[in-house]
Amino acid sequence: MSSSNLDACDFCGLVRAVVEFCRFVRANGFGSGTKETIDCLQGIRAVRNTDLDSFRFTLRAVLCSSKEEWILFDDLFAAFWGGTEHRRGTQSKKSVVSIFSAHSHGNAKGSPVLFDHSAGSDLEAEGERKTAFGASAVERLKKIDFSQVRQTDMAELERVALRLLRRMSYRVSRRLQSRKRRDFVDLRRTIRQSIGRGGELIELNYKGRKRERARLVILLDVSDSMNLYSFFLLKFAYALGTHSKEVVSFIFSTNIVAVSKELSAQRLSHALEMLSQTTTGWSGGTKIGGSLQEFNRLYAGKLLSRNTVFIILSDGWDTGTPEVLVGELREIKRRISKLIWLNPLLGLEDYEPVTRAMSAARPYIDVFAPAHNLESLLELERHIVTWTSR
Amino acid sequence: MRDINAVIEGFGRFGYVADRPLATAIYLLVQLWKPLLIEGHAGVGKTEVAKVLASLLETELIRLQCYDGLDVSSAVYEWNYQKQLLAIKIQEGSDKTVEEKEKHIFGSNFLLKRPLLQSILCEASSPVLLVDEIDRADEAFEAFLLELLSEFQISIPELGTIKAKHRPYVILTSNSTRELSDALKRRCLYHWIDYPSLEKEMEIVRTRLPGIEEDLRSQVVRFIHSVRQISLSKPPGVAETLDLSRSLTLLQKTKLDREAAEETLGSVLKSADDLSKIRAEGIDKVLLRSF
Repeated sequence: MSSSNLDACDFCGLVRAVVEFCRFVRANGFGSGTKETIDCLQGIRAVRNTDLDSFRFTLRAVLCSSKEEWILFDDLFAAFWGGTEHRRGTQSKKSVVSIFSAHSHGNAKGSPVLFDHSAGSDLEAEGERKTAFGASAVERLKKIDFSQVRQTDMAELERVALRLLRRMSYRVSRRLQSRKRRDFVDLRRTIRQSIGRGGELIELNYKGRKRERARLVILLDVSDSMNLYSFFLLKFAYALGTHSKEVVSFIFSTNIVAVSKELSAQRLSHALEMLSQTTTGWSGGTKIGGSLQEFNRLYAGKLLSRNTVFIILSDGWDTGTPEVLVGELREIKRRISKLIWLNPLLGLEDYEPVTRAMSAARPYIDVFAPAHNLESLLELERHIVTWTSR
Repeated sequence: MRDINAVIEGFGRFGYVADRPLATAIYLLVQLWKPLLIEGHAGVGKTEVAKVLASLLETELIRLQCYDGLDVSSAVYEWNYQKQLLAIKIQEGSDKTVEEKEKHIFGSNFLLKRPLLQSILCEASSPVLLVDEIDRADEAFEAFLLELLSEFQISIPELGTIKAKHRPYVILTSNSTRELSDALKRRCLYHWIDYPSLEKEMEIVRTRLPGIEEDLRSQVVRFIHSVRQISLSKPPGVAETLDLSRSLTLLQKTKLDREAAEETLGSVLKSADDLSKIRAEGIDKVLLRSF
């Protein structure tokens, strides 16, 4: 792209290279289609000065559609066009390979601090990464058990998870709002208002029941036994929290800590970073009963009402006595409308909720559901929504 | 608009420091008639792009501010019911037929044109249509917008279909508080505006506030940059940099010391949490870090 006037043959080569590049970014998860490819070519023609930067900026403006893609783009571009000067045809294939190593290393570095990545990404695995995009991959990742996630899938799953969960929480919050029923005409106000218009009833005023929004209280078990799941569930809490102020989150193991503030950080990585600094029994033992007791003492009065959906995410391994747990659960259940207990172990085929705590708690639980993969988390929308539209 | 350099130069004339990537995106918007979606943090000049573009093209700027619950009657059109009722009353004694009366009250005199319809009806030249904070509107509205952006026509049952005389240049901004639909994103060019580099922000302040002294300007920009390093819920944008500079000039401060920073902190940080956070960090330290 050094010459400023492209003759016909040059342009042919360029077209092919651009088309290949578009296919390349698509293979890397970009949502761009044929239309974008054409736009790229039109854009290049419109931008007559042909230095490499203008070329890059043009392709970037057309092909990207989110910040993530925006950030990824420069790496892809550099890998494909070889950094300083673009190469065409077969030569570019060579750099296509080199990109995968370059960019997957970058990814591992950028991952949230809370994940302990054991470094292990060989070339073969990177080859798999390449195919880990697209709709079918999303379907596969939705079903994968969090504890079974391969290191190579981790970054991908995180992305998919956040995207899906954000969408879900958005839908949930929408549905909470879209119930503007107009029950009765408020005659008093209507007539009062009509005086200014000579007694013609032009605008009707309505009165109706005041809309009450559901509040979600989420208690997340971060003890040792939940280690494999807790970070995903934390993301779940984060995703719900980003779209509604009415989500209050706590983490507990032997004691309970309010984390709504940390989880309201703009970026997830931020939130996780702040969380890792809060001193709690990350990966310690569990006292569910004790933690609930503390919750009841400190927060119940403020947070629990008929409007509350209470969600506990835990595997039910409790080192305390079941009596305490039952007592506290009864106390909570008395004040709220729905108690949901999500248990990742329910996803296991041969699991029976026979831990003492779990069987003692069972009578107070309205919804007892698995939470071992994305799909089961997305299912939860159903429970929250059915409750709110009642 | 001849080329990208002309865009940079033109934006500069209106006090907007546009870097090459942004200028390229704007140039493509004008040349390809594709809507441009601009994302970025609060206060980095997303909305300003549309304003400057309108000035540069010497055309009208039509702005639609999105909000939760935005609907067709406040975005596209609404009949002026009061006027219609009045017209009906006036016509009560006349011998016009019902059809004639109906035609009269559903004439364009009775139509309240909201931003989207306005943008389609522009007579003189292509206007710039700014759809601000599209992420705040709901999905239904997004779908409607998508239809408008592909056809540039609006159907009003009583009047028929209105097609744009001049296709508007469309700029959408978003704070990415939620994910936009893939369909909408695909239809748009995309540009991400990050916080500017030190040099660029200096230049922005110089362009916008030519009166400010060199030393003070550099202090302010460096200070803001180190404030951004602290993890705050609402980090200051370029707008805040300009606010702080203006405040200091107004208070006739010649340098940004601890006292001056304390007094003007309200123009930089806008939440109580953030304020207490930076106090805990120590304003001294932040200032020190910036020099």
